[in-house]
Amino acid sequence: MSLDTSASATDSGATPRPRRWRIASWAPVIVLVALCIIIGLINPNFFSFGNFVRMSQTAMIPLVLGLGATFIILMGSIDLSVEGILTLGAVILSMLVLNGANANDLGIFGIFIVLAVGASVGFINGVIHVRLKVPSFMTTLGVWFIGVGVANALLGGMATRINSPMIRGLAIDRFLGFPWGVWLALLCFVIALVIQNYTRLGRYIYALGGGEELAELSGIPVGRVRIMTFTLAGIFYAVGGILAAAQLGLGNAQIGNGRLFTTITAVVVGGTALTGGRGGVHQTLIGVLIVVVLNNGMVLMGVKPSVQIGVQGLMIIAAVALSIDRKLIRIVK
Amino acid sequence: MNALVEKIGADRIRQWLPLATLVILVVAIGIVEPTFLQPASLLQLASDTAVLFILATGVTFVIMLGGIDLSIQSMASLASVIVALTITRLGYGSFVLAVAVGALAGLLSGLAHVKLRIPSFIATLAAGGVLFSTALVISGERSITMGDSARALQEWITGTVFGIPNVVIVGLIVLAIAHTLQSKTRFGRYSAAIGAGEPAAYASGVKVDRQKIFAFILSSGFAALAGVILAGRLSSGSPTLAAELLLPSIAAVVVGGTAITGGVGSIWRTLVGALIISVVRIGMTFLGVNIFAQNIVFGAVLILAVAITIDRSKIPIVK
Repeated sequence: MSLDTSASATDSGATPRPRRWRIASWAPVIVLVALCIIIGLINPNFFSFGNFVRMSQTAMIPLVLGLGATFIILMGSIDLSVEGILTLGAVILSMLVLNGANANDLGIFGIFIVLAVGASVGFINGVIHVRLKVPSFMTTLGVWFIGVGVANALLGGMATRINSPMIRGLAIDRFLGFPWGVWLALLCFVIALVIQNYTRLGRYIYALGGGEELAELSGIPVGRVRIMTFTLAGIFYAVGGILAAAQLGLGNAQIGNGRLFTTITAVVVGGTALTGGRGGVHQTLIGVLIVVVLNNGMVLMGVKPSVQIGVQGLMIIAAVALSIDRKLIRIVK
Repeated sequence: MNALVEKIGADRIRQWLPLATLVILVVAIGIVEPTFLQPASLLQLASDTAVLFILATGVTFVIMLGGIDLSIQSMASLASVIVALTITRLGYGSFVLAVAVGALAGLLSGLAHVKLRIPSFIATLAAGGVLFSTALVISGERSITMGDSARALQEWITGTVFGIPNVVIVGLIVLAIAHTLQSKTRFGRYSAAIGAGEPAAYASGVKVDRQKIFAFILSSGFAALAGVILAGRLSSGSPTLAAELLLPSIAAVVVGGTAITGGVGSIWRTLVGALIISVVRIGMTFLGVNIFAQNIVFGAVLILAVAITIDRSKIPIVK
């Protein structure tokens, strides 16, 4: 990430490469490879196929959540409502598919309804943020607690067991050795990559993050792009909710706890700048892998899971401190 | 000219809106439930508000500067764990230790924010994770109940003087100290100046970084004090003791009329805001709203209050 200034200097020359693929994005990859080698040397079990499957299962939910959050952070905004939308999605799913609390059995339609719920909550985020001009961290802080509150109200303090074989199959049934949920997460990654690189929305998101005033003057419908991006992020969080419900086998109101933290850690560790305009979903994939590999390494070394939250906190501070371009921001609030 | 009159009018309404809301809410609940207006009930309301008010007071200093502190609930929980673990060995010293740890944590997140130039919401989000992790590790991931010997040392929290709960008196002392700091000292003036316009404050020689770090120390220190009091009232400490208090605390500050953009606000407004939140909570309990579902209301109130109080001229681009 420290290579960034030199990279931008060459970029302004005749380098034809698009700025998204420049060399700075390789720093997290180097960190990831180094981590893998170190942990592999300490505990050779790290490189076993079983461990890879285990890590992929841990990575699938942070990856899907991180994809949504990346788009928001690329615009220079932030989304704290990850846990709210995920919890709401997981709880609603658990009540719509074959379950232990009511007679519903909507199957695949349940999944579509949950995706629609995620999109709507994301849309509400965007509308409040853009139309009422409330900063995104405040809007999404409120929506975070509203989402968890609604999930709680729906459940009434209980948990709903999921009996649908299709949903449970996402976590249990395997294809080429990996659970279907992992393939679903990879599909989401490809979709996000396409949206980022080959659609107008993707271009606009980068433009907004690079300089909103300029973007607006160039005729980009800034408000609409923001609302669409929050809606898109909401859909990704809803997918995260579906995967979380599948993994746990039930929907409860605590299902989202701690996930916001991992998501933001993954995005910033991957090298996406909080100031917007730099980074992308491909870097978030690396960020997620760094977080998961480090956690896995700590587990292999016998470090308690409660310590991992603290380590993630320090990683956020280190990654943000390294990636912030101090010339761009004179006032930090 | 018309616009000017309108602006003054709107400002005046904004200034008195929170107090008017509080009075209307109290009267409304009083009509439905007349016992609510009896001194005993009102004192109960005051004691229940104290912890929230102290948390909100700390974060007011940071919000006045235009920043935010998302680590207060973790700090308060950590403080409760520290007290629960050390009270039998250190006695009154455990309270001092907890608040000192709070001040130290505030110093560190302030330094991370100012020196590393990390936005305050992300620096304190990360700091909150570190504090939560610390609380989990030292408590062994469980809730620690305090014995009778510890309860005697917590008389200053749980007891009463002339019928007034001590916790209310502690709250009033915090109010006096915080109000003095905010309105009568150089730090308070500088904070308001930085919140109103950081480049101008910097240009006129205000040591911006130092004021910011001090604000974070206050925020975290007061959060620790709130945790100490919460531990005393519940006679236990746990890593998630105050987890539900972040949203109500920030909502209290904003509902009171302190703008999230900084520069405008006072401790009095936070007091009014904290009382509003408490009264709303009591009102919802009367109506039988589930305690977790109450977050729906607080979340909505927070967004609405921010939308009303925010100074949009200060943020041409809302991100």
